[in-house]
Amino acid sequence: MKHFFYLLGSGEYHYELFKKPLPIWNYWYLLLLPLCLAISIVYKAIRCESMRRVPREAIGLFVFIIVVMVAAAGALAALVNILD
Amino acid sequence: MSSQSSSSVPAPIVALATWVVPGSGYWLIGQRARALTVGITILSLFVLGLVIGGTKVVDLPPGVLSSPVNAVSQKPWFVGQILAGPITLLTASVGRSEDYFPSHSRVNEIGTLYTAVAGMLNLLAIIDAAYRAGHDGGAR
Repeated sequence: MKHFFYLLGSGEYHYELFKKPLPIWNYWYLLLLPLCLAISIVYKAIRCESMRRVPREAIGLFVFIIVVMVAAAGALAALVNILD
Repeated sequence: MSSQSSSSVPAPIVALATWVVPGSGYWLIGQRARALTVGITILSLFVLGLVIGGTKVVDLPPGVLSSPVNAVSQKPWFVGQILAGPITLLTASVGRSEDYFPSHSRVNEIGTLYTAVAGMLNLLAIIDAAYRAGHDGGAR
């Protein structure tokens, strides 16, 4: 993350909101988190009868998605290593 | 948190309102907490996609009115993006300016993914809001 803030703060890359892409090419995998969180919130807001249950259930779904994605990534990495 | 009022708003109006402004269909049938939760989340996801990849991640396929099937087959992700509402068309028209730089590689893919997922989540909201309006008047 140090590199990211360095790029934003230095003159090497002039980031302009909405005009230029965000310099996150080294940390793109972290963008999985807000995407999964948004999917969890909207899905549970639609599915739950009571909105009071949404925060807890959305957090549960968010953790489940992340754990499964990490497990799938680990399994695929292991498979690639075995095949190589 | 959700309001328990009944509604006489027709389901097609609720569906259209949800497409125009994500979450607004729930508001029309009296479920304001659900409306704010869904609307703010979908719009935040869409805007975050634009922040990550730049405005040019939303690119209107050429000839979308004359030959829509051919145009959409070139850029199928636009189907997902347009489901987020008129904000997609506004973004596409703004992004045509030469002041906006196209992104490439992963950053472009992630920005496109965010905007398209926002649209597909809005499709879920459209279907659900219309169903609630048609079946129980938003009493759930």
